[in-house]
Amino acid sequence: MSDIAVNEVQKVPVIESTPKPKHGPRGRVIIFGMWCKGCGLCVELCPTKVLALGENEHPIVVKPENCTACHWCDTHCPDLAIVVKKIDE
Amino acid sequence: MCAVKLMQGNEAVSWGALAAGCRFYAGYPITPSTEIAEMLARELPKLGGKFIQMEDEIASLAACIGASAGGLKSMTATSGPGFSLMQEHIGYAAMTEIPCVIVDVQRLGPSTGQPTSASQGDVMQARWGTHGDHPIIVLSPTSVRQSFDLAVTAFNFSEKYRTPVILLLDEVVGHMRERVELPEFESVARVERVGTNVPPEWYKPYGDSISDVPPMADFGTGYRYHITGLFHDVMGYPTQRLDEIDPWIERVHRKIDRNLHDILLVEEDTEMAKTVVVAYGATARSARHAVQLAHSRRHKVGLVTLLTIWPFAEEVISRIAHSARRIIVPEMNLGQLVLEVERIAGRTKVVRVNCANGELIKPQRILDAIEGR
Amino acid sequence: MPQEQHSAYNYLRPSKKFPNVWCSGCGIGIVMSALIRAIDRIGLDKDDVALVSGIGCTGRMPVYLDFNTMHTTHGRALAFATGLKLAKPRLKVIVIMGDGDALAIGGNHFIHAARRNIDMTAIVVNNSIYGMTGGQYSPTTPLDARATTAPYGNIEPPLPVCELAIAAGAVYVARSTVYHAVELDRYLEQAIRKNGFSMVEAVSYCHTTFGRLNKMGSPVDMMRQIKENSLTLASAEKISTEERTTKIVRGVLHDVEKPEYTALYDQLIARVRQSIESKSPQKEVTRDGQEFRPYRNPVSG
Repeated sequence: MSDIAVNEVQKVPVIESTPKPKHGPRGRVIIFGMWCKGCGLCVELCPTKVLALGENEHPIVVKPENCTACHWCDTHCPDLAIVVKKIDE
Repeated sequence: MCAVKLMQGNEAVSWGALAAGCRFYAGYPITPSTEIAEMLARELPKLGGKFIQMEDEIASLAACIGASAGGLKSMTATSGPGFSLMQEHIGYAAMTEIPCVIVDVQRLGPSTGQPTSASQGDVMQARWGTHGDHPIIVLSPTSVRQSFDLAVTAFNFSEKYRTPVILLLDEVVGHMRERVELPEFESVARVERVGTNVPPEWYKPYGDSISDVPPMADFGTGYRYHITGLFHDVMGYPTQRLDEIDPWIERVHRKIDRNLHDILLVEEDTEMAKTVVVAYGATARSARHAVQLAHSRRHKVGLVTLLTIWPFAEEVISRIAHSARRIIVPEMNLGQLVLEVERIAGRTKVVRVNCANGELIKPQRILDAIEGR
Repeated sequence: MPQEQHSAYNYLRPSKKFPNVWCSGCGIGIVMSALIRAIDRIGLDKDDVALVSGIGCTGRMPVYLDFNTMHTTHGRALAFATGLKLAKPRLKVIVIMGDGDALAIGGNHFIHAARRNIDMTAIVVNNSIYGMTGGQYSPTTPLDARATTAPYGNIEPPLPVCELAIAAGAVYVARSTVYHAVELDRYLEQAIRKNGFSMVEAVSYCHTTFGRLNKMGSPVDMMRQIKENSLTLASAEKISTEERTTKIVRGVLHDVEKPEYTALYDQLIARVRQSIESKSPQKEVTRDGQEFRPYRNPVSG
């Protein structure tokens, strides 16, 4: 791989594309099921659709990689049943 | 302070409050109680106390209860129309067991009535004005000096039993002036509310007391708890459980009932007389005079002056009903406390002497009743 | 354990039963969580905070929080809070009320607490209905909306809450919504920090009563409607006055400085004691330091 790149660099300038977006979530969602009343606010209004309604109306994390740690869910949960922890680099 | 003064009843109530340690007054002016507010507006700042004229009587008693929860001995004063407004919060103070003193200088009612005429028309209201079953202590002085003394007693009972106490004056005792010699304030016996020193996590605002009066921690002293007018458990949290409601009802009534020896203040001068006059408030003054006149005419008459009118002195009246043939009850109303006497007197004849138009009951009328006219 | 991870749990009463008593999706829980964030950010000691409430769904908030809490009678929370603040001026007194509690039965106390400018924070959770009792109309119910006591539509115009607070004398008045929870907790923080009477109107919704009676859908739907119906102060200026009355205008609407009541009373006590000590009660000093002169009517002299 590197041999070819070196050759290609010598012949044709390679324009580096913009850095690939970092994969992986910025936040980790913890759901405290015992307090959740299943109102669905977090599920419906999560901007990146991290959550979905699971069985017994409680949210489950379906797309953990999408979490941007915007904290919409944990600032809007009326029951303090969900919290987002920022994932440190 | 001069040793001997010509003083008004309302003024004596204010001095009594200050002597007892009152450091918060919230009230609304109303005849014939306004002098109490005016005097405390002047005197409380001198002692570092707080006075505030609230926007109505409902807010006045609310502020008193709030201040009492914050640790200050509090009082408010009013008359009939304001007393009617305060009923909800009297019930709140009884439910939350927060000490406070409510002075009602009775005027002729109902409604606006006649603000500068006397009456004893709020007697039943003082007992039952607020909804629900609740105990209450109501004191009624007969003179200016007694207004001072019973004001002190009202605060002491209130703090000791964690209950609202009503000081029931009437326009006569409130507005008349008499020669009094007040004691030095330092010599006045004060009762403070029982506090707590258990670790805050262990504190139960409505529990843990063999005296039935839970120790009271003031807000902001490290004890964080919940006060609510809803039925609550020993932690103060709302409950609907019968096994928490029933004990509360029993305890709150017991804390008064088991202390009647302390709470019932009665002046008795009967000596097995066959005719006994039972009176309270300003009417007791006329009754005293009538009994003196009767004695001068060789009638054997006894006099019972009730200083505590609620709880009712059942034991005293029951004992008198045994030995007396007639009990005469003069009241400046159409018969309120007499209903209690009639209930207890059994077969003993009870004679009512009533007046509900704002006039005082003259001694002659009571003497007429004594002499059987 | 979750309890250790959510910092809000430090402010909840561990001996109280959770989940809370409010309906699933109710905005009051959102206000509670915003309040916790605000108090946490200021760094107040729990012993120094008093939370006083009235009657209604909003009135059920204090029991859950580990402060000095008082659940009082309908409409009178501000009066209780006034007495408590005067007795213990060191306490940060926060008064939480619903729209009916604060503005109908409590309207008078609302006006006078603001007028006195006593240092406390009033939070009015405005869901435009009497929720606890099943959905009767309140002073903030919009015209033509249905309620159980307005089955043919409400014919009473709604009360402008913030304008009333400003007119009465509050020094800090702000409005936000439960959708804008982060903005809300910022305003709550400012309101609590402010010395004087501050009022925050937290616009919420009641899907159980108002929503059902007016066919407005689920909590999610009503949340979205609040979002769509609200705009910032800056945007509100660009639309017509008529249109503005149908919108929720968010922002800090008033922020001034005025002498605060408990401070004024302490000064009064100091003045009175000083005049006694100087043994010249005749020379009464007034609030602005001048000698007392008889009042002169500025108009007629």
